[in-house]
Amino acid sequence: MDATNPLRRGLVEDRTGDPCAVVIFGASGDLTKRKLMPGLYNLAVSRALPGGFAVVGVARREKSNDVFRKEMKDGIAKFSRRKPLDEAVWSDFERGVSYVSGTFEDPKTYAALAKHLDALEQERGIGKNRLFYLAVSPSDFGIITKHLKEANLVKPPSRDSHEWTRVVFEKPFGHDLKSARELNDTIAGVFDESQVFRIDHYLGKETVQNLLVFRFANSLFEPIWNREHVDHVQITVAEEIGVEGRGKFYEQTGVTRDIVENHLMQLLCLTAMEPPISLSADSVRDEKVKVLRSLRAMERSKVPENVIRGQYGRGFVRGDDVPGYREEPDVAPDSRIETYVAMRVHVDNWRWGGVPFYVRAGKRLARRVTEIAIQFKKVPHGLFRAPDGGITPNVLAMRIQPDEGIALRFISKEPGQHTILRDVSMDFRYGTAFGSNTPEAYERLLLDAMRGEATLFTRRDEVEAQWEYIDHVFDAWANEGSTPPPLYDSGSWGPEQADDLLARDGRRWRRP
Amino acid sequence: MNRDSSGADRAALRADAQSPLSIPPGPVTSAILARIEKELRDMWTAPLAPGEMPKSRVCTMNLVVAASSREVADRYTAVVEEVTASMPSRAIVVTLEPESPTRALEGEATAVCVRGESGVVCSERVRLVASGSVCARVASIVDALLVPEIPTALVWLGRVHTDDDVFTSMALRSQRVVLDTEYTSLASLVQLAKWLREESEPRPALADLAWTRLATWQELCARFFDEARTRDHAREITRVTVRQASDSGARLGSEGALLLGWLATRLGWRATRMGGALRMKREDGRDVSLVLGAVPRPEGVAPGALASVEIEAASGGQALKGSIVRELASGGGVDGKTLDADVVTWTCELAGQPCQTRSVRLRANKGARVLERTLHRQVYDPTLVESVQFAEHFFEDGVVVR
Repeated sequence: MDATNPLRRGLVEDRTGDPCAVVIFGASGDLTKRKLMPGLYNLAVSRALPGGFAVVGVARREKSNDVFRKEMKDGIAKFSRRKPLDEAVWSDFERGVSYVSGTFEDPKTYAALAKHLDALEQERGIGKNRLFYLAVSPSDFGIITKHLKEANLVKPPSRDSHEWTRVVFEKPFGHDLKSARELNDTIAGVFDESQVFRIDHYLGKETVQNLLVFRFANSLFEPIWNREHVDHVQITVAEEIGVEGRGKFYEQTGVTRDIVENHLMQLLCLTAMEPPISLSADSVRDEKVKVLRSLRAMERSKVPENVIRGQYGRGFVRGDDVPGYREEPDVAPDSRIETYVAMRVHVDNWRWGGVPFYVRAGKRLARRVTEIAIQFKKVPHGLFRAPDGGITPNVLAMRIQPDEGIALRFISKEPGQHTILRDVSMDFRYGTAFGSNTPEAYERLLLDAMRGEATLFTRRDEVEAQWEYIDHVFDAWANEGSTPPPLYDSGSWGPEQADDLLARDGRRWRRP
Repeated sequence: MNRDSSGADRAALRADAQSPLSIPPGPVTSAILARIEKELRDMWTAPLAPGEMPKSRVCTMNLVVAASSREVADRYTAVVEEVTASMPSRAIVVTLEPESPTRALEGEATAVCVRGESGVVCSERVRLVASGSVCARVASIVDALLVPEIPTALVWLGRVHTDDDVFTSMALRSQRVVLDTEYTSLASLVQLAKWLREESEPRPALADLAWTRLATWQELCARFFDEARTRDHAREITRVTVRQASDSGARLGSEGALLLGWLATRLGWRATRMGGALRMKREDGRDVSLVLGAVPRPEGVAPGALASVEIEAASGGQALKGSIVRELASGGGVDGKTLDADVVTWTCELAGQPCQTRSVRLRANKGARVLERTLHRQVYDPTLVESVQFAEHFFEDGVVVR
């Protein structure tokens, strides 16, 4: 849009999407109510929606437009970051909200949708631009894409036309490499890769985007961001909550599929990648794929010494007595699903050779925190006497959530007659420096999809490379027999074996 | 968020108590500065009172505000307080009273704290009043109070005179000079832009709150040409009608002039004259007809505020007519609404196609929000610079609305 509408040139503050219809499959689901509609509403408040705009919800249940609008209004009032709901904005926004009912397997659903979209084109001036958002179970991805094609709702990209069709897929994208490839093949039969937007909402977070800015807009850190200066890297995605009624889902996924394969791998890529030649989608994604291809594949025999899994038992979280995983609803009493995983990952390239990346993710841990910590090497000579015989190394910690910010730990002399060394920290917090009313990840990602900007979405080869690496772990676990994962107390930092993983290397986990 | 502007942290210092008419060059102002600096330090070293929440001092920028009277400074201090609540800064509000018979400097330092999600965050506010010839030293005084290594923005609330050493010396110490030409005049912006072009590096960047307010109008104008079927019309505009809230015969206000400057520079128009009258020519050499009109100004609406924009274009045999009409009466406290409730109606008609109408709310016009949005923008804004350069034609030709 920017390239051809001259009045868009230089309008930096107000990014708007192309005129379009956003068609949400799975419109009755939680994601639509909690994230997608509040995200679109907030874009309307920010006036980032285009002049011609419509949202069409598609789901199985029969309901009128008015009922759907009321449900969405209630959802927005409850979950929007901006409260209270602005009636003036809503009344304008709701005129573009409508609903089509039908099952995803029934061709009539798509015929009705096509007719509805044709009518909206005239009424709302949305043109032929369509963004299909698949907020549905991955098992429905294939059938929906197939029917979209059969109903002529998919227009291939063309240089001669400004009209576009795009599709957004929610995670999880497959459950292993084979299924991800099959899914990608199915999608590739309907959509060109440039039309496909695989969402990983972590990439929509401001602090994750800031990783690129922090690394490549500051000359200070890049020269020391390598094996010469970095001892190791720790990436933590810790949650206090358990499966929260999603036992059925979790029994099929586990933390490795839910967090490690996507969010954690993306954080690792952004930490380890080389500077891209530009911020174009493919330049950035090319560099991330190079990192994924540099990950040292784990032979089956090496998995036990590099990967530790665990499952939460009973314990206390924030003082509350909480049940163990196997006591959760819809969880098998002998479940072997991992709710915690810690891995030692090696990035075999010039920059990171010999620098281990320790990554961990888990539920019911001591506190909710997502962070990337770069631990630098110790000073080469102990000039100062320290009680423990050494000086604590510098750490640069990038906090993704909560209390988003960056902290640099260094050593300082305590005032006084003696040379007493002490750890101090330089702290930068987004919330205090820039205010806390920043757009939610889904706002950014929805707008990017409407604008056709794919940098913050994962590409086919990226997803497959992530699964390829993780599949080695699953393969080893499948051959371990029926040994259950070790239990860890809820409210702890994971199983003891995870501590041993680092202790063997003479290191220890941070307590963020 | 709860605001806690602690009076206990306030220290008012008067220099003129001893010898108001005979400040020797240097010592007295430096003594006052030393006391202000001490007050600023003491805010963060004083032990907490029992039950008092620990406070974090946060400073992301220096925000220097220069006002021409105590009344303006008082009014703007509330704006500064709101801005610093979300952009923690060291704010220095300076009142300049050069005509005062006394030669004096007054100063006070205050911590302005906000209780947010991550604890109590405090900004610092320094208020200075410079009277008589002390005004000449203000830049040096402010310089001493700036927090190093962070950006400095100067908000100049009065008319800009680039032969005024007080203004130029303060401007040259800043990364950005912020004006509000909706409430001063286009003359200030034009003069400042010319001075910046002449000034050697490093020079501050230019910002104008009126330009920030225009963002909605610009975005809505751009919407006319977003669709594939209207995209080519952008290069084939035949007429632009701009109406402002003012008397007939008034000069074209800064919002109108900047909007036209923006349209012209985006679309490659040239300014020409015929018989002394200003004309616009498109890239293809064809004329663009300009109609500049006035509508009655309701109470509470700034003089010269943009009231409507109409754009007509013809491409491929299809006529496009787009209009953005501001409901001026929705501001000014009518029915409990405020200026923040301004609404515009956006309409686009394309020959043979159904008319589209949308009601869009303008962004909050509250001083603090507009300043905050301005400060969040990129420091250097080439689009503004180009638009101001074009708007100089309207200023220099004394273009009026009818």
